[in-house]
Amino acid sequence: MENIRLKKITAIWIIAVLLLFVAAITLGIIMRLNQADVMHLNPAKFYEDMTVHGLTMIGIWFVAGMAALNFIMERYVKTSYSANLIALIFTVIGVVMLWISAFVGQFHAGWTFLYPLPLRPLWDSWAIALFLFSIAVLGVGWLIWTISLMAALLRKYSISQVFAWQHLSNKNPEVETPPFVLISMISLIGVLTSLLAAVVLLILLFAEFYTHGSFTNDPLLMKNLTYYFGHTIANEMLYLGLAVIYELFAEISGRPKWKTTWYVTIAWNLTLFFVLGAFLHHMYMDFVQPESLQLIGQFASYLASLPSAAVTVFSIIVAVYRTKIKWSMPNLLFLIGTCGWIIGGVGALIDATISNNFVLHNTLWVPAHFHTYNAMGNVLFSLGFFCWFSTQFSAKEVVDRMRSLKIALLIIGGIGFLAAFYIAGADSIPRRYSNYPSELAAGKSYALLGAVSAMIYLIAIIMFFVNITKRCLKMLFTH
Amino acid sequence: MLKNVVYTLVIITCLCSQAWSQPQSDLREEENIYEQIYNAPLKLIDGKSTTVLQLAEKKPLILALIFTRCSGICSPYLLQLKENIKSQSADATKPFNVLVLSFDSEDSVADMVNLAKRFELLDDNNWHFAITDSITGLIKSVGFHPVWNDNIKQFDHDALLVGINTQGFIIKKLLGMRGESDVALLIESINNEFIPTYRLPGKSSLFSCFNYDPKTGKNTPGLGLLFIALPALIAMLLLFGIRFVVRSKSS
Ligand code: HEM
Repeated sequence: MENIRLKKITAIWIIAVLLLFVAAITLGIIMRLNQADVMHLNPAKFYEDMTVHGLTMIGIWFVAGMAALNFIMERYVKTSYSANLIALIFTVIGVVMLWISAFVGQFHAGWTFLYPLPLRPLWDSWAIALFLFSIAVLGVGWLIWTISLMAALLRKYSISQVFAWQHLSNKNPEVETPPFVLISMISLIGVLTSLLAAVVLLILLFAEFYTHGSFTNDPLLMKNLTYYFGHTIANEMLYLGLAVIYELFAEISGRPKWKTTWYVTIAWNLTLFFVLGAFLHHMYMDFVQPESLQLIGQFASYLASLPSAAVTVFSIIVAVYRTKIKWSMPNLLFLIGTCGWIIGGVGALIDATISNNFVLHNTLWVPAHFHTYNAMGNVLFSLGFFCWFSTQFSAKEVVDRMRSLKIALLIIGGIGFLAAFYIAGADSIPRRYSNYPSELAAGKSYALLGAVSAMIYLIAIIMFFVNITKRCLKMLFTH
Repeated sequence: MLKNVVYTLVIITCLCSQAWSQPQSDLREEENIYEQIYNAPLKLIDGKSTTVLQLAEKKPLILALIFTRCSGICSPYLLQLKENIKSQSADATKPFNVLVLSFDSEDSVADMVNLAKRFELLDDNNWHFAITDSITGLIKSVGFHPVWNDNIKQFDHDALLVGINTQGFIIKKLLGMRGESDVALLIESINNEFIPTYRLPGKSSLFSCFNYDPKTGKNTPGLGLLFIALPALIAMLLLFGIRFVVRSKSS
């Protein structure tokens, strides 16, 4: 019974995520067409689309990772169905509030809603309240879910076991911590910290909001908190996807299960610590931030990503090199997604290096790298899970005749879409421009390439959507 | 359960948006930045006619808005501007002109000549005194809003300096009586030099990350830093707290 309920709620999460993904990609294509001068939106409308696109994407791929994590975690510990359901309800309500605040109330401060922009009288005042409450509702739902999953793990594993410290001194410890458990805990603590940063940020925004300006905020503090929340959650959602890969890649490929070793433990423990300081690389242009913090930002960015990337790539190479692999859609998506994650990660590290940031800051290089590890990384991790999940419980073997076409469309569309961002970024085209002035006319051609390629990517996603949703709906309406 | 949650949220949102009123922190110095100034025709006191953009095209411009009947801020503010500019070291790479423009339609060229004489600036080539018949468009474009008070026959207005570059874009605005260093920054800005500036947290901002002392130029850690440390701290406490609670429950 418990398992059936978990299966069904996971199916609902998957359908909701895919539905919102198609809608959010459409908004992305509309933005690219507008930048290409093919469509002519009012600038405010462009920024409404950008705000909704950014927040929806971050939100859905975060919950996709959490839903997958929750489903697989049940293999090791008992998780709470109520927390999962509360998160689902709060997410639906939060997303509806967010969309109304933007599309009806015309709130359009971008997904980071960087202070003081959200509080400026550029849109209806009720829209600001609704927007801030939508973030609060999402945050509360996700906090409950995160804490409940942490509690589930901590019921079985002690603190040192959950971080796999026993693997540092002993090759075969009495209690083994599976890599999935280790990475889940590391990611959940990161998620928890980022959500707590959002709570502090929201409290300060509400305080200024309701004291009619007699209490004001320090822009430096608000920017630090904004990226503490935004950068950290965007990073952690990738790690949620990686936890799933550590569990499923070998299993789906017909290989022995991955084990926690001393180097896996060190790499992921480093990630836990350093990912919380990596957000400081968003502050390089803020000259009032002390230089020491800027340097911490640079080195934390390296140390948070390089060790975990190295061990993951090493594990995958060991798993696939000169071995007979049972290739199927999920492990193909995991493999391509890992490549996307690494390429995007390199792009991010280039930008996180202070000397480069002077050139690349706020150019299209930024959306280039984060779209790489999202659209061609994390999305594929979760899509891989969705494919695996939706075929897991079907009575007969599912044969995907369009597998090669889907993968080809995904790769061709994805590469074209990302290349348009990278080339434009290297050409110093700024990000977040609704229309490019004549000085930046080259941006229009890149935008057109991006729009056409994104349409190809969207076709692939719609094919996945139709197949996976059909199977999930079947699962929902049968016992 | 779902219905209750939805109702509660709708009620909270409605109540909160009712109670809401816009916080209006003083961001006026940031308004109209990077917009082009209205190209008002000017009558200069030497009898020539020109426009704001034509004058700015020759050299970047500092615009000071005054009226000659002013019994308030105009004189001290012009005097201070004169002193501040005098104390700037001459730098041929950072040229500029000052345009003193009346925003009072009652002012005539003769009134402006008298003003220039009073401040001993009549023969200074860097200073231009002028009137315009299109003041409404110009003051709107720089975000300057004087209000006529009929009781005291005076305008209630800000002391505003507007920096304009040679393409006629408003690059920087200074509100209130400002010191030499601010004027030096203004001059550098209108010569298209990047000047990093930061609005210091005011008295109403209780939690700033750093407390900057403009006199010594020193930064000391502020209460705000605590807020940055808080999420990680609470997360760690929760980690140990959760473990403690689940362990005591299971035992
Ligand atoms: C093919 C699919 C996608 C398309 C066509 C698309 C398009 C765009 C465009 C045009 C922008 C604005 C770029 C600019 O600054 O000029 C943007 C921003 C953004 N996108 Fe996407 N995107 C896609 C997928 C994704 C995915 C998968 C994610 C995350 C998981 C994502 C997250 C974001 C975020 C966070 C922003 C920044 C919004 C802001 O600046 O406020 N996008 N996207």
